[in-house]
Amino acid sequence: MDFFSQTYTALRGPTGAQQTPEETIARLADRLSPDSQLPDRRAAVLALKGLARKHKVLVGERCLGGLSRIIREDAILDPEIARAALEAVTTLIDSSDTHSDQREAASTNVELVLKDASFVHSIFTLLKDEDFYVRYAACSLLSALLASHPQTVQAAFLTAPDGPARVVSLLEDSRDLLAREALHMLTMLIRKSSEIQKVLAFDGVFEKLFGIVTREGGLEAGQYAEEALQAVDILLRFNASNQSYFLETQLPSTLCTLLYFNPRVVPDEAVPQEFALQFWNHNKAQAASHVLDIIGILLTAKGPALREGYAYTRLLIELAFASNAPTTLKTQCLRHLPADATPMLPEMVVTPYMPVPETNGEEWDKLEVATALDALIELIMHGEYNGLDAEKRSKVGMDLRATAVDVFENFVRDSSVKEAIVAGMLPPASAGPSARSPVTPLLFGLLTPPKPPPERVLIVGFQFAAIIFAHLLRHTPNCKALARQILPPSPVATNEVAGGAFFVPADGRPPPAAPEPIPEDDDDEAQTLLQILAEHLSLAFLLRSRDTWSTHDSREWDRWIIMHLCLLSQWLWEDPKAVRMFLEAGGMGVLVEQVNQHSETDVVITGLCAFLLGICYEFNREPGEITRATMHPILNRLGPSTLAGRLTRLREDERMKIVQPGYWVLPCPTPRSLTLGFMSRYEEETEIWFDWSFVDFWKSVNQTVIRGLMQDPDAPPSSSGTSQSGESVLVASLRDALSKQALEIDDLKRRLKEVTASQTTVRCAVARELEEVQAELATEKTKRAEVEKEQEDLLVLLDELSDKRKRDKQKMREAGWEVSEDEEDGDEEDEE
Amino acid sequence: MSGISWHYVLKFIITGDAGVGKSSLLVRLTDQRFLANPDPTLGVEFGSKLITIPEENKVVKLQCWDTAGTESFRSITRSYYRGAAGCLLVYDVTSRQSFVNARSWLADVRQHADPHLTCILVGNKADLASGDAPAVTLPSDTFGRQVSTEEAELWAKEEGLLFVEASAKSGQGVQEAFEVACRDILRKVREGVFEDDRSPGVKLSKPLANGVDLNQQSKSTQCCGT
Repeated sequence: MDFFSQTYTALRGPTGAQQTPEETIARLADRLSPDSQLPDRRAAVLALKGLARKHKVLVGERCLGGLSRIIREDAILDPEIARAALEAVTTLIDSSDTHSDQREAASTNVELVLKDASFVHSIFTLLKDEDFYVRYAACSLLSALLASHPQTVQAAFLTAPDGPARVVSLLEDSRDLLAREALHMLTMLIRKSSEIQKVLAFDGVFEKLFGIVTREGGLEAGQYAEEALQAVDILLRFNASNQSYFLETQLPSTLCTLLYFNPRVVPDEAVPQEFALQFWNHNKAQAASHVLDIIGILLTAKGPALREGYAYTRLLIELAFASNAPTTLKTQCLRHLPADATPMLPEMVVTPYMPVPETNGEEWDKLEVATALDALIELIMHGEYNGLDAEKRSKVGMDLRATAVDVFENFVRDSSVKEAIVAGMLPPASAGPSARSPVTPLLFGLLTPPKPPPERVLIVGFQFAAIIFAHLLRHTPNCKALARQILPPSPVATNEVAGGAFFVPADGRPPPAAPEPIPEDDDDEAQTLLQILAEHLSLAFLLRSRDTWSTHDSREWDRWIIMHLCLLSQWLWEDPKAVRMFLEAGGMGVLVEQVNQHSETDVVITGLCAFLLGICYEFNREPGEITRATMHPILNRLGPSTLAGRLTRLREDERMKIVQPGYWVLPCPTPRSLTLGFMSRYEEETEIWFDWSFVDFWKSVNQTVIRGLMQDPDAPPSSSGTSQSGESVLVASLRDALSKQALEIDDLKRRLKEVTASQTTVRCAVARELEEVQAELATEKTKRAEVEKEQEDLLVLLDELSDKRKRDKQKMREAGWEVSEDEEDGDEEDEE
Repeated sequence: MSGISWHYVLKFIITGDAGVGKSSLLVRLTDQRFLANPDPTLGVEFGSKLITIPEENKVVKLQCWDTAGTESFRSITRSYYRGAAGCLLVYDVTSRQSFVNARSWLADVRQHADPHLTCILVGNKADLASGDAPAVTLPSDTFGRQVSTEEAELWAKEEGLLFVEASAKSGQGVQEAFEVACRDILRKVREGVFEDDRSPGVKLSKPLANGVDLNQQSKSTQCCGT
């Protein structure tokens, strides 16, 4: 400071006359030239640093060139001038000023210094300066430049000699202050530049970043660790090359150990409590959220081939279902759970925890072990920690349940799984005609009867039950057929059984446990689930029509009714048998009554009633009491155009309009326009009206339903007609072709089997014949050989005999007997 | 796998003109397949492979970065030299120009890389140059051999480079090229050229006894097993 004031006095001149800032700055600018002595230059820079804040425009105009030259040339020699010059430039480009002209000047100054790439290069060079303050000042200046002109600095960085290595080495600086500043700068440097991301990975930036996290003591280190992990996230997110490299290192398993999870966990190994129950605070949750995101990136990028794939999947499942992690983290876990990992759910056993009441999250009870699938359904049906805070319908809690529904949807993607689950809800076949369905948590949720006053927790529970049940039935004829046979036990039994099921982890995995003994109290015939739902619907309409409800309660009833209508329309679509059952349970009257009302009831409800009525009409194809012909005049009286109008108004409603894939937990109240006279009970409260799957279903069939309403009772079902939209026609025709082909294939298979079978028998017969013939041949052969031998023997005998005769004749001749010559001659001639 | 994972991690880069087949060499090395029509590499791609050097009784983990050969990315490629232990300088035996340009690539390497970097000159596309090469539809100027083995060998000798001809298509010489380079680096390590980890591209996998590296050892065992 002393030095500074001396210089200032010297510059002001001996006369003591007051100088204007312009004059001073001009004078100082002159001193910056390489012609002056180094100490003079240093003094001038120090003075300018002081003036820069107040006179951004002037100093920028006059001195920026000189300063940048000093940074390029002098800085390397003299730490003091380097630091001062860097700081002066940082001040000149600082745009956080409140005055707009100052901000403007700052942006002009930035553009000026960035014109020359070698200027940025020299700042990167100074990152490795021996002097700590120079390194720090260089780093701050780079941060400032990156904040305003990221692309220019990034381009310069890529051409800077040795730039990457310098940046990376900053991260291991022993002085925290600098390492933090470097991390901050790095985060900006790597944004949206895969080149820089790669080159830094090459220079070992991953190792350094994880080094920071572990050095700081893991995720508990809070913000610092969080920033480091955020940088890792950026480096990996859209960078396949870096992902491959990262997986080569040992860092993927470090991600597990940061959360106290064993990266080499094997399937039957229990997860330690230090993982399940951790101390969480906001900062740690933020850092852990980055860890989960990184795990998500790696799982998506590499799929099952990932070395840590099992550990990651297990970690996500354990953290979601069996830990005290913050709710948002659990939601994240479920969101990152790969679809192909869901088959693990029924096999994996987890130990859920519950906070001990009034210990402020410090004590936890271990619950019974359950499969992850049970835990999932439990979570969907009741909410986190068995519905501890379900009353509040907080955004985080509802999001978690909605995300769990997505996981469930992935799990039942295969229709055989759906069938198995629905089949598990049927009365056990072995238990005779009086058997009833076992009460699974899902069935229990569906059976919730409407009871005044509406209970918030039960209603949401029913909504989720209906949503997942609809997932099982939608467009799955086999499941619909099975579902029609669900015979819930009588209400008394339901309450008893489910009372228990409500507070233990869900045990609804099919096939169900032993059938409950149902007391025989057959006052009336047992009702199927569908009939009960129809009855609950009419009961709810009845309760809703009382005019004593507050706005809150009315909305609850609406919610209840809407979800019933949604479930029923998805069930009844393309299922004439279910339509018959519904109509015979008195569904028709209920719907017509609602559609007919001109009152100010919710447009969504009348719309959905018209929608369901349309479905009933369209698919009323089974013989029965109420036929299409009986329905037609009623529809006519209601007026097809009125009905179509109701359906159209449904589309306009905000509750349906704003639902999107992955977004159906809506802020309370929706629509927004209600906010004026309506106060939600809790802060950040959310609500559900429709899930996306229903909206999607509704959009795809709505036109067909509207057209169906106008049809004559004798009209054929539209699915085989031409009135459907192009896509569904295509789907239908494809489905048709497919089923035909399947039949054909079956037929061909059968024929192939027949042909093969007959061929085999023929072949067998032929082989047998061949064997016989061969045997015969062999015997013949031996016979022939015998005969030949005999013949030979005879010939030999004959030969001997003729010899003997010759001799005898000779003897006779010698004895003077008369011997016939002729014969002998002939004989001899013969022999010759 | 027994307890052995790898003894060294070596960082390699592949450099040379555009279109000489750098990416194909990397893919051939790591995936044992031929990349027929690769896009021009934008930036750097990464691959890795374990290589056993029997006579040293050492297993080496090769981490290889493939660089872009187009001129506009040249300055970026330079950023990689400093951190590498080995460099494959690739030219195309059917392109004279790529061989001529190899000189400027080498100059780059010499200027930016560690002085002890091992550089091997690789003449790629040797399959197109052999006598019975099938007539492949290629731009006319790439037909047939334009750089003789002797000439390249001579230049490599002058410059103190290792040399091999290879074909990413047939696989001939590819593994060899990397092995030759690895051997040379291991020799330098043995001779103490890199005083304890002085080359940024060579990393010693610390012995088990050290304890600190236990994790890495068992982890890498797992890696090799899968």
